[in-house]
Amino acid sequence: MSWTLRILYALLTLFIVMNVGLLLNGVTRKIYARVNRRVGIRFYQPYIDLVKNYSLTNLVTHGVMFYLGPIFRLTSGVGLILFIPLIYGSQGFSNFSFSGDAVLILYFLFFGTLGMALGSGESGQPHSAIGVARGLAQVTAAEIPLVLSFLSVFIQYQSLSITEIVGAQQSGILQWTFFTNPLAGVTALLAFLGSMMRSPFDVVLAPQEIPIGPPTEYHGAFLGVLQTNRAIFPVAKTILYVNLFFGGAASWPALIPKAFLLYMWSVVVGTVFPRYRVDQSIRWFLKVPLALGLLSIVCIHFC
Amino acid sequence: MVAMFNPIYFVVAGLAAAFLLTLFHNRERLSYFIMIIALSLMMLISLAHLASFLAGTGEIVQVFTAGFAPPFSINFQMGPPEALLTAIVSLVGLLSGIYLSEQLRKTGAYAQAVYIVLVMGMNAMILTRDLFNLFVFLEIVSIATVGILFLSRSRTSVNTGFTYMVASGLISVVLLIGIVFAYMNAGSLNIDTLSESLVMAGRGGSIAVLLITLAFLLELKPFPANGWGIDLYTSAPGALSALISAGGMSATYYALAKVLPVGQWSHDSLVAAVGGITFIASQIIALKQDDSRRLLGYSSIGQIGLLLVVLGFSEALGDRRDFIAAGLLITHALSKSILFYISDMVQDDSLRGWAALRRKPVLLVLFGVAAFALIGFPPFPSFFAKWDLILLLNGGTEGYYLLSAMVLAGSLIEAVYLFRWFSYALKLPHEDLPELASPTSRLIAPVTAALVLAGASWYVSTLVSGFSQSFLIPVAFILLVAVIDRLPAWSKNVISIAGVSLYIADLYPRIAGDLMTMIFAGIFLVGAVLTLLSGFYYKGRRAGFYPMALTMFAGLAALIEAATILEFFWGWELMAIGSYFLLIRGKKSMPHGLSYLLFSIGGSYSILYGFSLAAAGAGGVIAMSSLVGISVMPALAYSLMLLGFLTKTASIGVHIWLPGAHGEAVADIHFMASAILLKAGVFGLITVLLAMGSEAGYTRWILLALGWIGVLSALLGNISAAFQESAKRLLAWSSIGQLGYIVWGLASMSHLGWLIALGYSVTHFLYKGILFLAIGGIALKIGTPYMYKMGGLIKRMPYSFFAVLIAIITLSGVPPLVGFSAKWITYNLIISEQLYYQGFVILIAGIIAFLYLFRMIYTVFLGQLKDNLRSVGEISIWFRIPMYLLLIVILVLSFLPNTLLRPIGDMLSGIFPEEAIVWTGSRGVTSLGYFDGAMIMYVIVGIFVILTILFLLLRKQTQKVKQFNIFYSGEAPSRPELSHFSYNFFAHYRKAVGALALPLVTGFWDRVTEIIHAVSDFIRRIYTGNGQTYLFHIVLYVVVVFLVQSGGYR
Repeated sequence: MSWTLRILYALLTLFIVMNVGLLLNGVTRKIYARVNRRVGIRFYQPYIDLVKNYSLTNLVTHGVMFYLGPIFRLTSGVGLILFIPLIYGSQGFSNFSFSGDAVLILYFLFFGTLGMALGSGESGQPHSAIGVARGLAQVTAAEIPLVLSFLSVFIQYQSLSITEIVGAQQSGILQWTFFTNPLAGVTALLAFLGSMMRSPFDVVLAPQEIPIGPPTEYHGAFLGVLQTNRAIFPVAKTILYVNLFFGGAASWPALIPKAFLLYMWSVVVGTVFPRYRVDQSIRWFLKVPLALGLLSIVCIHFC
Repeated sequence: MVAMFNPIYFVVAGLAAAFLLTLFHNRERLSYFIMIIALSLMMLISLAHLASFLAGTGEIVQVFTAGFAPPFSINFQMGPPEALLTAIVSLVGLLSGIYLSEQLRKTGAYAQAVYIVLVMGMNAMILTRDLFNLFVFLEIVSIATVGILFLSRSRTSVNTGFTYMVASGLISVVLLIGIVFAYMNAGSLNIDTLSESLVMAGRGGSIAVLLITLAFLLELKPFPANGWGIDLYTSAPGALSALISAGGMSATYYALAKVLPVGQWSHDSLVAAVGGITFIASQIIALKQDDSRRLLGYSSIGQIGLLLVVLGFSEALGDRRDFIAAGLLITHALSKSILFYISDMVQDDSLRGWAALRRKPVLLVLFGVAAFALIGFPPFPSFFAKWDLILLLNGGTEGYYLLSAMVLAGSLIEAVYLFRWFSYALKLPHEDLPELASPTSRLIAPVTAALVLAGASWYVSTLVSGFSQSFLIPVAFILLVAVIDRLPAWSKNVISIAGVSLYIADLYPRIAGDLMTMIFAGIFLVGAVLTLLSGFYYKGRRAGFYPMALTMFAGLAALIEAATILEFFWGWELMAIGSYFLLIRGKKSMPHGLSYLLFSIGGSYSILYGFSLAAAGAGGVIAMSSLVGISVMPALAYSLMLLGFLTKTASIGVHIWLPGAHGEAVADIHFMASAILLKAGVFGLITVLLAMGSEAGYTRWILLALGWIGVLSALLGNISAAFQESAKRLLAWSSIGQLGYIVWGLASMSHLGWLIALGYSVTHFLYKGILFLAIGGIALKIGTPYMYKMGGLIKRMPYSFFAVLIAIITLSGVPPLVGFSAKWITYNLIISEQLYYQGFVILIAGIIAFLYLFRMIYTVFLGQLKDNLRSVGEISIWFRIPMYLLLIVILVLSFLPNTLLRPIGDMLSGIFPEEAIVWTGSRGVTSLGYFDGAMIMYVIVGIFVILTILFLLLRKQTQKVKQFNIFYSGEAPSRPELSHFSYNFFAHYRKAVGALALPLVTGFWDRVTEIIHAVSDFIRRIYTGNGQTYLFHIVLYVVVVFLVQSGGYR
């Protein structure tokens, strides 16, 4: 495939994913509002917010790293989506997944986090630092079941290639990893909650408590960039889970509902459960999810 | 020529001088002159004989008094051992005589006469072959000792002298009874004929031998019947103690050696048992000792205990016995003399009082030389002697494994108290201590002793097989740099860099083609050049730094070049010395430097023990290949070697020295210690694992344990790093974690595991080099390593920030930098080798690393800039140059990770052919997955650049605001401290998992230390200071030993 075509596919991918992400954000906020007996925003409000933020003329910066922070963040989101093979069998929508396998995805997840943390750090805003400290502490705990479940899948399929893992699940719903390796699937779903920045694991942003956590000082176009990423990044993560545990998808119409349902899993839990403190969430991940994750490895090793 | 120096002249010179002195007792100068002449003459005689023996031209000289043959006369014998021992006694006699010049002149000619007789007596004890004559000279020595003690007129000397005299008398009774029995049964008192006669002499002969042996053993002050002798050291002047310890002990020891070989009645096992118990007990008792003289006394007795072990195991040690005994004895005699001389100059007898030595650095150097020599560090004779001793004890047909372990344990305890004491001298405050009594004339004796020790070290090294003299060349270079230590630091730096560069140029052709060696040589020696380069930041003299840094690098180079395990061990020990002195240079480094050294010594003894088993299995061959396929207790041998090397990689359990030692080290030393020195441990592990392989059944358990040690080191190291307030300690803990990955990779004994280990070895050197230089430079610049006192330094130190940023991204393994490749291989390894459980922990450890990495870069460079740091500039250019050189390498490797991993992989395919990565350009593929370093870099950089350009195009008006212009409830923070979130950064994390970072291992080692100290405290209660008690000890000792030994005859 030519590089021009590759880039066009990449842009198309981004367009689709961003729109899906923005709509998901809007719908989610609507659901939250309805559960709380409010009318809520219009489902296309995220588009309006995005246009507004990009349109603001003034930007205040605290330094180079602050300036680059959101760009690091968005690079991470865009890169992630481009490194994941999205549609099974489609060379075009596999984008740049030939650069690396699932391990690349797992570690690239941190790229934006780190860049954003550094950017917000330069602002000198203590709430940003508090948010980052909370986020890092929590993510190290949430990663434990995540790593276990992913490892379990890699062992199960003896492969690190996402395309191969998706390929192995194509012969029917019961061949989905979630059913062939349910312990890993459940562990992954629990770990998924920790990475979606929703209640009960949203103390990192903790609206009102530490303004909005790490991005407190970001505004205008900076915030626009972060919002763009917030549309792309969770969808990318969700697609990763779909690929590894729910059979992937051979087309966009197959992928989007799966991604939507999985996304809603975190929304439902977030709507129902109140917020944990960081130490509570760390302990939570080190109990049932850890035990399940270990069990899944033991099972896949000995069964 | 040698005939001119008839041994009888010892007695002639002694008696004649003593006689003359009484004639000139009122001529102070003349009498002293006569004494010195007589002592010099004795030394000359012994040296002449020693020289002829060393040259190979000497013959054993027998002198018969009055021209009759024994038993009608007494005879003197001057053979090689006598020549060496009389040389030691005469030398120490002369040096002590010179040292005591003021005191001897003040006390007058009679004291001088007694002194000469004392030295003469010691020499004669060595020379005589007649038992009764031996008794007579022993009495002369005892009486002369007490005589001098009385003449010194110190307050405690009368009491001590009296106890000493009575105790000696009591022992003489035992000896005399023995002599009576001997004469009754053999009809002769000539030692040579006695040996033959007593064999057939029945029970009477056996009692004679036992009593004589016992008497000489008692004279050597065995534990616990030695209270009478210990007190002597605290009462006598230091120089006299030197003579008693070095000369008296040597003479008595040799006397025992002479009477011991009596056929079936030989008491080898008794001597060995007494020696072993005395050695261990003395070292333990010395542990709680605070009086320097008394401590030296215990140490002396301990050394004699070790020599008795050598004597008792004559059979096992064979023809190397004399070499071992000589090596230990020379070192003991000269080192102890040095220490006793210094003890005399220090006015405060407590150990802490020796901090006063810092006012006279030459004395501090001498103290260090003596301490390191006593413990058996290279290049001293004791190093080679201890090596031989352990190898032979374990290497005979019946290996004395427990005994050799006890010898090493005792030596370790000795190291504890000697180096604790030495670190007091190096670091404790000395302002309030009394002045040193050290006029230049008093320096002659210890300096001469040290020079003789150096000469002996060189000579001994030539007598050792399996040791190339080329290893002495770096030592000579180091001595040269030490000589010019007064020059400014930059000039020594230039010379040092030139020296190391020359060495690299010389080494390269020899190792080119051997990639494994090249990697470590690169880390050690290129690292050396880079660290030395950063040394240009230092303005001033930097006394002692360069000899020690070069010692460390010479040790590291020796590891690379070693062809035998002896040479390897030499390098290992040399490195330990150098690094200890570097690490202890920090202001608060005293306990940490000590802890480092003790773990180093413990580790090296563990290695030595393993090596000895390897040599035993190879029939005494000590080539490096002897490590392969060890046949004597291989599991133990390999485990011990691995344990030894793990102390250097600071793996969990033996890691407690590192956080403090590295955390308190100054910037460039921190770089040396962590980025370079720790790799020596890795090199050792690789050496052992290559030799061990993984085929044998026992290796499975060893490797399993090693793997878990690795992963736990990684996990606990990283968690602890996250909780540190000091950036330097944070990095130190991080090193523990990083080395954990390497250990784990090696333990997998697989292609990918070793690729990780070697890849990490290189990349850890690169990014840790940057981090240590940056953080060390900052700590140096702003005067604190505490991160909560920093903040916002990106504004003042942008270059450092960028370098640190690249380093932490590399360390964290986030793409697109080279660190990612290690993470990718890790996943492949875990799955392909089924290391699921260890692998899971190692992956989690990697994620936890983000905690401390962010904390470090945020709290140091980001957040709020403190008022006192507003005008601080960048760190020294001499730190930035090596930092950026390392940075360039990281960037190149990030674009093209295959340039590093592919050649290593090709090399490893020769060892582990399975599961190799297949490379196509920058794309690496395994049976499980793939990654393309260059492509990842292009994609990520491409996206980043495009987004940045787009964002810049969007920008309309950007306003840079001041520090306090932040969202802060509508207010501006009045002080940066209020809004710099830094202290206890991960409080919540600590609350949740802090239990994992509890200092349990430190607690364990503290408890071990407490127990040994409590034992020490308990045992030393037997020394009541009461003469009657001491006499009772002697009587009881005789009775018990007699009963135990005679029980065997039935």
